Amino acid sequence: MIEFNNVGLVYPNGTEGLKNINATIKDGEFVVIVGLSGAGKSTFIRSINRLVTPTSGSLLVDSEDIINYHSGDLRKLRTKIGMIFQNYNLVKRSNVLKNVLAGRLGHTGTLRSIFSLFKKEDIGLAYESLKRVNIDEKIYNRADELSGGQQQRVSIARVLTQKPKYILADEPVASLDPPTSHQVMTYLKKINKEDNITTIVNLHFIDMAMEYADRIIGMRAGEIVFDGPVSEVSEKTFEEIYGRSIREDDLRGGADES
Amino acid sequence: METYSLPPKPKNSLYKKVKRVIITLLVIALYVWTFLSIDIDWGRAIERAISNFHRVIPKLFNPDWGATGEVALSMLETIFIAFAGSLMAAVLAIPLAFLAAHNMMGGKIFSTIGKWILSAVRAFPDLILAILFVVAVGPNAFAGVLAIAIGSTGMLGKMFSEIIESIDMEIVQAMEANGANKIQILFYAVMPQVIPEFLSFAIYRFEIDIRASSILGIVGAGGIGTMIIFASNNRNWNEMGTILLAIIIVVTVIDFASSRIRSKIV
Ligand SMILES: Nc1ncnc2c1ncn2[C@@H]1O[C@H](COP(=O)(O)OP(=O)(O)OP(=O)(O)O)[C@@H](O)[C@H]1O
Ligand SMILES: [Mg+2]
Repeated sequence: MIEFNNVGLVYPNGTEGLKNINATIKDGEFVVIVGLSGAGKSTFIRSINRLVTPTSGSLLVDSEDIINYHSGDLRKLRTKIGMIFQNYNLVKRSNVLKNVLAGRLGHTGTLRSIFSLFKKEDIGLAYESLKRVNIDEKIYNRADELSGGQQQRVSIARVLTQKPKYILADEPVASLDPPTSHQVMTYLKKINKEDNITTIVNLHFIDMAMEYADRIIGMRAGEIVFDGPVSEVSEKTFEEIYGRSIREDDLRGGADES
Repeated sequence: METYSLPPKPKNSLYKKVKRVIITLLVIALYVWTFLSIDIDWGRAIERAISNFHRVIPKLFNPDWGATGEVALSMLETIFIAFAGSLMAAVLAIPLAFLAAHNMMGGKIFSTIGKWILSAVRAFPDLILAILFVVAVGPNAFAGVLAIAIGSTGMLGKMFSEIIESIDMEIVQAMEANGANKIQILFYAVMPQVIPEFLSFAIYRFEIDIRASSILGIVGAGGIGTMIIFASNNRNWNEMGTILLAIIIVVTVIDFASSRIRSKIV
């Protein structure tokens, strides 16, 4: 469970990234955060694995306040939170297997990892993970030989190999075309259901949010302006979150094509 | 066809124009002054060049094949000096580069110190280093190796640190986010991004060092330079021809091999 209690975050340059955030995310939920560019979606998500550090309030992950975590605690926290990025962030020159095994680093001793002596079951897990996102035949290809959608699937496999309790995804489909976007979201949703991994995804496409989320959190200028189940969300809700009427480019489209 | 009208270019300010003119004038003045003050007797210089031309050049093109064995051995020593020197430099340059790169060690102070060390090392010309090491360790190939090593460390360190600074830090962040520690991040996010480029530059530097080590022998630091100095003192231009031929062949072959290898790596 993740609990934001009056969380605020002011960046060193004075920008308020988060203002008095209160939210509780229960285990197994699939939450989509929506909001305009600069609303604070990334800041919200990155606070949870402390890539950024809130400056006020308390942020509980599994009932422990993580705001004052340091190196050791921090690595332990991050080991149970997987993260997926817009740019996949694979090591381009390494092969797929090595990239996926990198998800295991938090569980692997330093010496073992330096010599790439991963345990047999870790390598098995990596292969299983690749199979789950249907990219196992590329296991020995270099990452830069794959298309964007394939790279994102490898990065999902990397997160699966990590065996996390939570998955954070910061705009995972922003660089992909509509059919590939749906494919990636479908995998995320499937993993969420099958493994009961709490998943928080930043999206700025309204239709995708509606299609995949259990719950939507709307942000504007660092604040939560909407928080509720998808069943309560209508076009009007989005207009309130965005503070303007909905446009063509707020939609990803292509739901049928996938 | 539609014509586009670009917005007007920003005009250079008067200050900039004046500055440019002044700099140009200063450079010209500097040239004139230098040439006037070094006092060359052009007539004599040209006359001498022409007369020596006749005595020297044809002999250079008529190599002394009898010296081939000796020259080859000497050339081999030169290659070894260059290789040992650039290898040593590549190893030394890595920690200095990590120190100097602003996105590693996590501190502006470290990076500034590292950059200072590297520029200080780069400030010494190879020949001066060679003279210093000949004095320090005696007139042998080891002095040459050390001179090459130190001379190359400065440049390689600077190159390496720039390579490190250009890596994709988001990948580093991705590893941080999955709980990897600093050493694991080094091995899984940083090294794969920098090693091929490091290698490529080390090989390139080896190419340069072959040339540098060919002349180090002139100050007694081993290699083929020693033979150059003897041949020229003895006016043995045929042997000099053999030596030059050896250098040209080796440098060409290594240039070729190096560019082939480097294009494979990166
Ligand atoms: N490192 C930083 N330093 C200073 N200000 C920052 C930093 N990162 C983000 N901000 C500011 O904080 C605010 C929220 O940014 P954030 O990246 O969380 O928005 P976002 O909702 O993810 O936007 P986008 O959809 O463009 O990714 C913005 O005003 C942004 O300019
Ligand atoms: Mg963002």
